Amino acid sequence: MAEMEVADKGKKGNKRSKKLSTRVDLTPMVDLAFLLITFFMLATTMNKPKTMEINKPVPDENEDKTEEPTIKMSKTLNLMLGDNNKVYWYVSPDEIAVGTGIELDSTDYSANGLRAVIKRRQREVQELHGDKNELFVMIKPLPGSKLKNTVDALDEMTINAVSKYAILPPKEAIDSLVALQINQKRK
Amino acid sequence: MAKAKIARKSTVIDMTAMCDVGFLLLTFFILTTKFRPQEVAQIDLPASTAQFPLPDVNVMKFDISQDGKIYFGLDDQHTRSALLERISEEYKFNLDEEQKKVFKTLELWGMDINNLPNFLSMDASARSNFVHPGLKLDSTEVGGEHQVENLITWSRYSNPELRIAIKGDKSTSYKSFDMLIQALQRCKVNKFNIITTEKTVAE
Repeated sequence: MAEMEVADKGKKGNKRSKKLSTRVDLTPMVDLAFLLITFFMLATTMNKPKTMEINKPVPDENEDKTEEPTIKMSKTLNLMLGDNNKVYWYVSPDEIAVGTGIELDSTDYSANGLRAVIKRRQREVQELHGDKNELFVMIKPLPGSKLKNTVDALDEMTINAVSKYAILPPKEAIDSLVALQINQKRK
Repeated sequence: MAKAKIARKSTVIDMTAMCDVGFLLLTFFILTTKFRPQEVAQIDLPASTAQFPLPDVNVMKFDISQDGKIYFGLDDQHTRSALLERISEEYKFNLDEEQKKVFKTLELWGMDINNLPNFLSMDASARSNFVHPGLKLDSTEVGGEHQVENLITWSRYSNPELRIAIKGDKSTSYKSFDMLIQALQRCKVNKFNIITTEKTVAE
């Protein structure tokens, strides 16, 4: 392939004319090709970015609260994402009476922190209702929290196989009390 | 005893085959390489264990910088042209071919739509040095133009299969992220993706 047939311009008079080799040395060309390959291999970003899918609950247009199905609060876990990488969690009581207290605690996003809380809550729901998948986690990020916190919290849902969760605005009355308690802005 | 004759072999190796392979691979890499688009803002991605890859086509991308500025980008040139048509119609812009061509190649941008014609008529070096101020967030203001919502609606109108990817810096405050989410939800978009880097569960 690389050899080319070159018509011999036979000089009839000179019998000693040298036949020039028509072979081309391809080594430099190969060198160049591999150099460029190396460059393009390094310049290519092969790993595509991964994404996390988020489904937000459809906001109800007509503000009709009567139809809203109520979830038993004992099946829920509220996570309030605050600033300084702290997450505050509490469980609302089923019924609020005089003297009802709620347990409010703070933790971090590590495996020993938030994950342990979710695991514990899953066990509690399992005992109460017989199925740990009944657990409904309400993630309520406060404006001071970072995007990373939301991503981490959502990630914990995947890791702990929590099937029911939602990102909600901290709108409920109890949320404002909690926000006041932890001294953070709600809006 | 007769001496065994050893045939002298040539040490020249035929490089043709190697050359072929080399250029074949080179062609492959040249064609598959997608250079990283020019970044409008430096973004440090949050990490998650999510495994879902970002789709190749039909992506509407929002970048949120650390200080909460929002940038907008479409991956497909046809959708970009269609969006620009719609914008010029609504805002009564008279754009020439050159400006349309510039918009078609715009990967990511963020500014008040009213400033768009000015930006598009800048020369190439001025454009690359231009600091994008971020999309105009006027949805909560009285008499706002709802620019972000309009962009979303008009882009989706020209390409209904668009998926929405949000690329936010990990230390962006939730407040600016939430502003974008609310804009999306006002456009009846309740499903979107957050771009993250990978990490393992053990952390």
